[in-house]
Amino acid sequence: MSEVQTFSYDNKIVRDFGIATTVWGIVGMLVGLIVALQMVWPEFNITQYFTFGRIRPLHTNAVIFAFVGNGIYMGVYYSLQRLMKARMYSDLLSKIHFWGWQLIILSAAITLPLGITSASEYAELEWPIDIAIALVWIVFGINMFGTILKRRENHLYVAVWFYIGTWITVTLLHVVKNLEIPVSMWDSIPVFAGVQDALIQWWYGHNAVAFFLTTPYLGLMYYFLPKAANRPVFSYKLSIVHFWALIFIYIWAGPHHLLYTSLPDWAQSLGSVFSLMLIAPSWGGMLNGLLTLRGAWDRVRKDPILKFMVVAVTAYGMATLEGPLLSIKSINAISHYTDWTVGHVHVGTLGWNGMLTFGVLYWLWPRLYGTKLHSVKLANTHFWLGTLGTIFYTIPLYWAGWTQSMMWKKFSTDGFLVYTNFLETVTQIIPMYMFRSLGGLIYLIGAFLMAYNLYKTSKAGTLIKNVETTAPARVAYVSHAKEHWHRLIERRPVQMLLASATLVLIGGLVEIFPMLLIDDNVPKIESVKPYTALELEGRDLYIREGCLGCHSQMVRPFRSETERYGEFSKSGEFVYDRPFLWGSKRTGPDLHRVGGKYPHSWHYNHMIDPESLSPGSIMPPYPWLAEQELNTKYTSAKIKVLRMLNTPYPQNYEETAVEDLQRQARKIARELNEQGIEQENLEKTEMVALIAYLQRLGTDIKPDKMVKN
Amino acid sequence: MYKYILESAGNINWMALFALLTFFIVFSMSIYLAFIKNSSDLDEIANLPLADDN
Repeated sequence: MSEVQTFSYDNKIVRDFGIATTVWGIVGMLVGLIVALQMVWPEFNITQYFTFGRIRPLHTNAVIFAFVGNGIYMGVYYSLQRLMKARMYSDLLSKIHFWGWQLIILSAAITLPLGITSASEYAELEWPIDIAIALVWIVFGINMFGTILKRRENHLYVAVWFYIGTWITVTLLHVVKNLEIPVSMWDSIPVFAGVQDALIQWWYGHNAVAFFLTTPYLGLMYYFLPKAANRPVFSYKLSIVHFWALIFIYIWAGPHHLLYTSLPDWAQSLGSVFSLMLIAPSWGGMLNGLLTLRGAWDRVRKDPILKFMVVAVTAYGMATLEGPLLSIKSINAISHYTDWTVGHVHVGTLGWNGMLTFGVLYWLWPRLYGTKLHSVKLANTHFWLGTLGTIFYTIPLYWAGWTQSMMWKKFSTDGFLVYTNFLETVTQIIPMYMFRSLGGLIYLIGAFLMAYNLYKTSKAGTLIKNVETTAPARVAYVSHAKEHWHRLIERRPVQMLLASATLVLIGGLVEIFPMLLIDDNVPKIESVKPYTALELEGRDLYIREGCLGCHSQMVRPFRSETERYGEFSKSGEFVYDRPFLWGSKRTGPDLHRVGGKYPHSWHYNHMIDPESLSPGSIMPPYPWLAEQELNTKYTSAKIKVLRMLNTPYPQNYEETAVEDLQRQARKIARELNEQGIEQENLEKTEMVALIAYLQRLGTDIKPDKMVKN
Repeated sequence: MYKYILESAGNINWMALFALLTFFIVFSMSIYLAFIKNSSDLDEIANLPLADDN
C-alpha cells in the first residue's frame, strides 16, 4: 500500500471560468439577438461599427470562443483535477490561461466592430490575436499535461482522452488555418489562395465545430452526466469506439461545406462519404449518454440538471444526424446558402452546447459554494425557456430555408425563373425571421434567469477555494503480457496524444496535400489576371464590411443559378483570391457575376440607401463609404506580399501601384459624374474602390474580355 | 469483359477508395479490440468519475 497524500483541488479557477462562460454567454446571445433583429428591421444597423456584417462575426466568436470556450475550461479544470486526483499543475498557469483568454475575447470584441477581420469564418481575428491565442492555448496545454503527468490515478478516463484529442487537433487547425503574412499591424494576407484556401478554411471551420464545440463537450458529458445521474457510463467499450472513430472520421468531413462549388469532385466525395460515416460514432455516443440514465428516468422528471443534460445529448444526436444528411449532395443542393444551415448550427449550439453548459453550471455552483441551489423552480423555468427557445429558433429557420430554396429554383412551365427578383425570396421569409428572433429572446431570458439563480446561490454560500482531499500516491504500474491493448495506452498520455495526432493527421494530409501539390486540381485560365491596386483595396473594404456574411461568390452549376446569375464559377477564376470569398449564406444574391451588370451609379445609390433601388431590402445602408477617404498607406505593401506569393504583377508594380490606383479611381469618378452622381473628391473615397472591385467580379472569363486578352 | 474492366480501372477514384479502406480498418479494429475484452476489466475505469466526492 502506497503512502496517502494530502492535497487540494483548485475550485477558484473553476468558479472564474464559470462566471466567464455565463457573462460572455449572455453577451454573445445578446449580440445574436441584435443581428437577428437587423435581419427584420435594418434600422438596428446603428453606425458603421454595428452593422450586420461586422457584428455577426462578433456573435459567432463570442458564443464559440467565449461562451463555449470558457465552458470547456470550466469543465476541464473541475473534472481533470478529480480524475487525475491532483491539483492543476500550476496555479500561475491557470491564472495566465484565464486572463489571457479573457483579453483575447476582449480584443475580438474591439477589433471586429472596427472591421479588422481576416474574413475566414470562425477565424476572423487578425494575426496578433492569432499569436496570442496560440500562446494561451499552449499555456492551457502545459497546465493540462502537467496535471496528467503528476497524477495519482493510473488510468486516463475517457473524458481525458477527449480533452487530449481536442488539444492536439485544435493546435494543428489553428496553426495551418492562420498561415498568413502580415501587411500591417492589423492586416494580413493568407498563404493559400482560391480553391486551396477554401479547402483549408472548411477543413478548419468544420473541425472548429468538431473539436471545439463537440469533442471537449463529449468529454464533459462523459464526466458530468455520470456524476449527475450517480451511475457509471452505460458502456465504457462504446465510449472507446466513440472516441477513436469520431476523431478519425471528423477531420475528413470539411469539404461537405463546399459541395457543388469549384472544389475538385474527389474532395467533395470524400467530404460527403465521411460525413455519412459520422452518424455511427455520433449516435453511439448519444445512445451511450442517454442509456447512462437507465434506471434513473424517474429522477429526470424532477431534476432540472438531468433535464438539461438529456435535452443536450438529444440535440447532439439530432444535429449529428442532420449534419450528415445535409452532406448528401442532393439535399445539400436545396439546403446550402439558406437558413436551414443556420437552423442546423443552432440545434448544436443552443441545444447541445448551451443546455449542457447550463446543466453543468447548475450542478457545479452549489458544490463550489457549499450550499443548495437558490431555486430549483427557477432552474426548471430556465429549462423550459431554453428548450422552447431552441424550438422557436430553429423551426422557423427550417421553414425559411426550404421556402427560399424552393423559390430560388422555381421555373414556370415556359422554362423561365418565376422569382427573378432575388428580393422577393427575402421578403417572403421575414415573418420566419421574426419568429426566430422571438426564439432567441426566449432563450436569452432563460440565460438571465440562470445568472440570477447562480448569483443568489453564491450569495447564500461561501466559495470553497481549495478542497482538501487525500489519495494514495501513484504506484508505477507493471505491465503483464496478456494485457488489453487499451489498458496500456490509456495509462500513457503521451502515446495517447501521438495516436490522436496521427489519426487526425491522416485525414488532414490525404485531403489537403493533393490539393496543394497537384496543379491539375485547379485548371489555369489564361484570361484571369490579378486585381488592380484599386480593386484590391475595394476587396479589402468588402472584407471589412463583412459583405460575405450575406453574399456568396460562387455560382453553382445548376440551371436555376446560371439563369439567375450567369456562367457557373470555375476554380481557375479564384487563383488570385487571397482570402477566398465564396461565403456560406445568401441573405442577398450571389455576387460572382455582378461585374458589369449594373452601372457605377446603381452601386453608388444602392450603397447609400439600398431601399431607394430595392424597396423592402434588408441590406444596411453604407453612407460612410462615400464620405471616408480611401487609405492607400499599405497598398504597395499588399502588392509586395502578393508578389512574394507568386501573384504575377508587372515588374515594380508596387512602386507605381498608388498612381495606378488614383488613375483608375479618377476614371470611375468621371464615369459616375457622367451618370449623374455629383460629389466633390469622389475619386478619393472608399466608395470608388468598392465599385471598382464589384465591377471586376467574375468578368475575367466574359467573352469580350477573353478576346481582348 | 476483362478489357472493359482494365480500361475503366484508370477512372477509379483511388483517393476515395483509400479513404474508405482506411476508415473501414480503423473503425473495425477499434470495435474488435474494444469488444474482445471482458467488460469487468473496464468497470473499474468507468467508475472513476464516481470515485471522488470532492
